[in-house]
Amino acid sequence: MAAPALEVDNLVKVYARRGQPPVRAVDDMSFSVPRGEIFGLLGPNGAGKTTLLKLLTTLLRPSSGAARIEGFDVALRPLEVRRRIALVLQETAGELLLNVRDNLLTFARFHGVAAPAARRRAAAVMEMFQIAAEAERKVQDLSGGTRRRVQVAKMFMADTPVLFLDEFSTGMDPILKRAVMGYLREEAARGRTIVLTTQILSEAEELCGDILIMNRGRQVARGDLNALKLLSAGVSDVALTFAELPPGLPAAVAALAPLRSRLDGNTVELSLKAEEARVLEIVGELSRMGRVLRVEMGGASLEDVFIELMRGQ
Amino acid sequence: MGPLRAMIVREAKIRATNVTFLFFDLFYPLLYLLIFGVGINAALSPARGGGYSVFFLAGVLALANFGIASSSSWSFFLDRDNGIFLEMLTYPMRRSEYLLGKLLFNIAIAFVQAALTLAMAAGFLGLRLDGRRLPLLAVLIAVGVTGWFFLYSAIALRIRRNDVFNSVTNISYFVLMFASSVFYPLGPLPPWLRTVALANPLTWEADWLRYATLGTGAPARLGWEAAGFALFAGASFFVAVRSLREQG
Repeated sequence: MAAPALEVDNLVKVYARRGQPPVRAVDDMSFSVPRGEIFGLLGPNGAGKTTLLKLLTTLLRPSSGAARIEGFDVALRPLEVRRRIALVLQETAGELLLNVRDNLLTFARFHGVAAPAARRRAAAVMEMFQIAAEAERKVQDLSGGTRRRVQVAKMFMADTPVLFLDEFSTGMDPILKRAVMGYLREEAARGRTIVLTTQILSEAEELCGDILIMNRGRQVARGDLNALKLLSAGVSDVALTFAELPPGLPAAVAALAPLRSRLDGNTVELSLKAEEARVLEIVGELSRMGRVLRVEMGGASLEDVFIELMRGQ
Repeated sequence: MGPLRAMIVREAKIRATNVTFLFFDLFYPLLYLLIFGVGINAALSPARGGGYSVFFLAGVLALANFGIASSSSWSFFLDRDNGIFLEMLTYPMRRSEYLLGKLLFNIAIAFVQAALTLAMAAGFLGLRLDGRRLPLLAVLIAVGVTGWFFLYSAIALRIRRNDVFNSVTNISYFVLMFASSVFYPLGPLPPWLRTVALANPLTWEADWLRYATLGTGAPARLGWEAAGFALFAGASFFVAVRSLREQG
């Protein structure tokens, strides 16, 4: 049987700090990811996601434990690991002095793609990411969003079996983001394993078949979306749109002590942890405060699960 | 050869995007020879061996190697600022290949620069270089660039702040350049300055280049200078690779 794409065994990364206690940025994590999966790594800022990503991509050496990519140990066989991965960092990274085409070709050259194939592929990838018109422009002259496109586009220039994407959609407009999500699904269907970290939980909800939530360097929860939502059983999401915002609505919402709430124009969104009958009663009470144009109710979202888990921490 | 070739092509493409880079690498040292060298030559009575400019030629070649390596270390800052540095460390190559690729490109540039300098010296200063000395000259240029490249790479990798790096390189540039045999023979110098200059790897390189271009130099001194430079280059390589491994 083929090795999983990723295997992590009791992985630990400790940062020593002068005059201060050491920080366990990754604290005894163990998990594995099968090939062809879109795997989401979620957690609040400082949870240890980026450190974990750096360990898996050979940028850092583990303090103890082990991690393997396609069967190769990241500390013992880093070159074999690098032959199998591509990484999009959270920060925009690019060859600013080179033009868009050369950025793509340079990446391909490092990954051993032959020149004629790389040129053909660059043309196709630039079309996919709507940057063909900028092909001859230096990356330093492009907007932040377009630079990000170039950075993500590079991942499609070589067929590395594992892709790591750290907040890949930063700076992308919704249409392009949707298109890229489609490309990522296609790549996963072709057998590539995609590991993505994101703060945009709807993205993870839509893309990831398997999600790991971490905090303070440790695993907090793991599973597919349905399994995670069970962790938040009894949570309902409600959205009400009024013709005109009732004056007493904010106070009424606050009195309900929702898990989270948001007021956007004439729409109020809230997550409630209560029996279904009680949720219906609450919707009825709020509806009587003004003329309601739209009511939406649903089960817990990934965001609810995330907030619930982080509160527990 | 794949990653090395990719690295060399990348460096060449980046360098070719800016005329200023090429000017400083290839032509700036020639100005030393043509303006400073000719000026001093005219001001002083011609020294032994055909004038100051001919004496200074080896110094210019050493300065060019030193300058190419030091400006190349800037590329680490550029890569770090552009965010590409960490991404590149996940490309399929060893850390040593990353450094070696940059170094080979620097050596290639140094060869072109040396060819220009020698052509200029032959055309304007009447230097007649013995063709049999060219292989030695090529080896000296390659070894010289290697030593300086690894030293400045280690400094650039260890220092994270631009302003600190600037200060360190400017001060070291000044001390290494003037406390050496690049501009003048060491004999007439005050003892303290001569001692400092004798311990300076730039002196060792300039003396060897002078031997390759003019055939001057005491064998005993050249012997320990060669050993010293090899030690210096080896230690710089060790520190540079170690510094690169600590990135992340």
